[in-house]
Amino acid sequence: MPTSEEILARLARIAEDPNRYAEAWKKARGRKVIGTFPMNFPLELVHAAGALPVVVQESGQPITLGRTLLFEFYCGYTRSLTDQAMTGQMEVFDAFFLVDHCVALLGAADAMRFELTDKPIFLAQYMASMDEAWNVPEIRKQIDLLRAQLEEFCGVTITDAAIAHSIRLYNRNRQLLRHLYDLRRAGRIRITAGQMQVLVKSSMVMDVEEHTSLLADYLAALEQENGFGEDLVKLHLSGHFCHAPPIALLDMIESCGAVVVDDDLFAGFRYISTDVPETGDPADGLTRWYFDRNTNVPCSTQAQKTVDWETYLVKSLEKSGAEGVIILMAKFCEPHMLYYPELRKELDRCGVPHLLIETEHLGLPLEQLRTRVEALLERVSRGAVASPAPARHLQPHP
Amino acid sequence: MSLLIQPANPKLMAANAVKRLSSTRMGGAMVKDYWDRLFTARERGAQVVWYNGAAVNPIFQAAGIEWCHGEAFGARLAAMHQEGPAQRTGEDYGYINELCSYARTTLGCAVLTKQATVSDDGISLPGAEQDVLASRLPAPDFFVNAYAGCSTGQQWDEITYRIFNKKLPLFKVSYPFLWGNKPDHGYLRGQEWEDASRYVAQQLHKLIEFVEFQTGRPLDWEVLREAMHYIKRASQLRLEAMALCRAKPAPATFWDWIASIAPINFLPGNQALVDYFAGVKAEIEQRVIDGVTALPNERYRLAFDGIMNWNKVGWLANKFAENDAAVMCGRYTHSAFWNEPQLIDEDDPILGMAQHYLLCPFNHSAKILGELLLRDCEAYGIDGVVFHATRTCRSASNGQMVVAQMAQRAGLQTMFFEGDVADAAFYKDAILESRLEAMLEAIDARRMTAA
Ligand code: SF4
Ligand code: SF4
Repeated sequence: MPTSEEILARLARIAEDPNRYAEAWKKARGRKVIGTFPMNFPLELVHAAGALPVVVQESGQPITLGRTLLFEFYCGYTRSLTDQAMTGQMEVFDAFFLVDHCVALLGAADAMRFELTDKPIFLAQYMASMDEAWNVPEIRKQIDLLRAQLEEFCGVTITDAAIAHSIRLYNRNRQLLRHLYDLRRAGRIRITAGQMQVLVKSSMVMDVEEHTSLLADYLAALEQENGFGEDLVKLHLSGHFCHAPPIALLDMIESCGAVVVDDDLFAGFRYISTDVPETGDPADGLTRWYFDRNTNVPCSTQAQKTVDWETYLVKSLEKSGAEGVIILMAKFCEPHMLYYPELRKELDRCGVPHLLIETEHLGLPLEQLRTRVEALLERVSRGAVASPAPARHLQPHP
Repeated sequence: MSLLIQPANPKLMAANAVKRLSSTRMGGAMVKDYWDRLFTARERGAQVVWYNGAAVNPIFQAAGIEWCHGEAFGARLAAMHQEGPAQRTGEDYGYINELCSYARTTLGCAVLTKQATVSDDGISLPGAEQDVLASRLPAPDFFVNAYAGCSTGQQWDEITYRIFNKKLPLFKVSYPFLWGNKPDHGYLRGQEWEDASRYVAQQLHKLIEFVEFQTGRPLDWEVLREAMHYIKRASQLRLEAMALCRAKPAPATFWDWIASIAPINFLPGNQALVDYFAGVKAEIEQRVIDGVTALPNERYRLAFDGIMNWNKVGWLANKFAENDAAVMCGRYTHSAFWNEPQLIDEDDPILGMAQHYLLCPFNHSAKILGELLLRDCEAYGIDGVVFHATRTCRSASNGQMVVAQMAQRAGLQTMFFEGDVADAAFYKDAILESRLEAMLEAIDARRMTAA
């Protein structure tokens, strides 16, 4: 039985270089590898078609040729996608499928399409407005389209039974990851933010059954010894759409005397928050999932009047006991920039210390950021001295 | 969007300035009257809708309510160099300057309007002080979001809705991006186009139901048909007038069409609108007869891709003129705003309206954008294409580099300059100047080689 560290190290290697994993998978299985894009793609459908679904990740390579097809004022993720397409880093993928409509993502996918003329890039656009009853059948229609397109591309029939089976597998995987989140929130295990990222990110790129089995081993191997000390400031990390923030940044944050107890990052809880209903028509289940995810963890890329990210965030703090929030924002991420003032207003109203850190594709000024993180922790600590009552910070200011 | 054309270089102005159409001044006056009237909507007891995106205003006209197009007001503030207070308010509210400047300007206006006119309980405050132009918008009764081609456009009204404490009704029209999955897809054709058209048309019927509910009375379909009749006629005249500009040297330029955006985009569909475009067309016809040209010494013909740099319109117009470069056509003028009038069935206008909303110039794939640009370049005898890389508008910037490569392959010169819709800070005059110079030199060199 491998140790938890060994399992984590293996997952970290895969999360670091998902294409290598996909190449090996393809060679062993002789089946297609399909690239998908964040943040709402139903991987279950690709899995049910017998292909390996991979949420395409930001590459660690600097942007070079990509500059000739996408401007520098796009988020790092989309610039990286374009660069990967232009520098031969997308070879392993047979095709790409997307459902999200972020304007930057569509721009990048279109640029990729111009470059990768031999690889289909299929858009089944999910309407982002979630308040209208008529958009539910519209999403269902897109799922049917996706299914038909995948069948044609993979040369298979995707049966309802196959989708239902894939749904169960992905649900199981998400449940295990959520269990880890629960343990971390409860302070029963110590998983660093960087480690949590590895666990979630690897689930986006690996064969789901293999990942689930490694997760189960990981859970079994995890020692219960590692709750965290009371003197560490408990933080919630928020935001960072579509791609994972640099692990070095997460490590730096925790090295300042903090422990991350929860998050709503895309490469984090946002990704695994919601299961697909397992009863009834599976395509209806995938439709429901799209709407349920935004109710569970609201996202500002979606347009929904009945849920608010800030309300969710403040409730999450109550659950995890987090005393401060670091909002991680990918530079130039329009939906996040647009919503940020609403988050700030609510956190201020509730007296929760918070800090905004904008990330870039490469090269963060970690030492400068350290000073800002330390200042945040200082603010949290001063607040705690003034009033030790639990969750005091969640009371609105008079 | 009344344009305040100022000389880029006063010394050169007399000799090399663009000779703008005088008929477009009437459009400026009509637009000013429109806004002035809107500012008094509350006093007159009119219902007001704030909307963003497509020109759904004929529906509001038929509903007997007054409409405020958010982007148009942002553009107007920028064109009048009065965007400062709104943008500062937006910044105080927490917007980062890399965010769409239309959105943060207009959201700044929303904050100002709300502060001035609405209590936290959503109750209108009588007699509020509204001395800055940015704060003069009448508070809305409800919102309609109808933004095609840009996710930010849709998200923006989610925020406006929240700024007004989620107390006012908001209706959203969703649009599929015209991506083109299948080989049958093309401009105005293919299954995807048909499906999208029907889907949007269905939503417009829902929008009408929503508006009827908000006003408490049925929509006047006769007024809608009539408004669309006038819009269709105005659009035909606009296109006919544009076609006259194929003459060499050009009788009018892109800048005249920029000045004509506001009327076609959001003024009421009525006889005055038709008269305006008839006047523009007549003036161009007369210029052709009289041999009057827009530039005294036209040597280059250029296309302009991208959304407008509203606070620099006059500056840009004269900058190109100084270099004897006639900017002839552009995506924002020639592939937008009721630009396919044959789609409008005056008796049953909804489908044609839906299709125009889908034809938003930001709602096409790069391939289609390239094809449209090359079509116009051929029609207008274009030598080079100027791309305005719009710093805070990814929607307008999407596809530009692909389109530039398509243009280069077709033998056209291209250049990029960075600017922005409503934030002048992103524009650098020296960059535009040096790149324009380089492009014009390249055009000269190619001509010499060909000669
Ligand atoms: S949501 Fe943000 S991070 Fe994702 S593609 Fe859009 S701009 Fe980039
Ligand atoms: S980014 Fe561009 S297209 Fe989108 S809302 Fe802003 S101005 Fe409009």
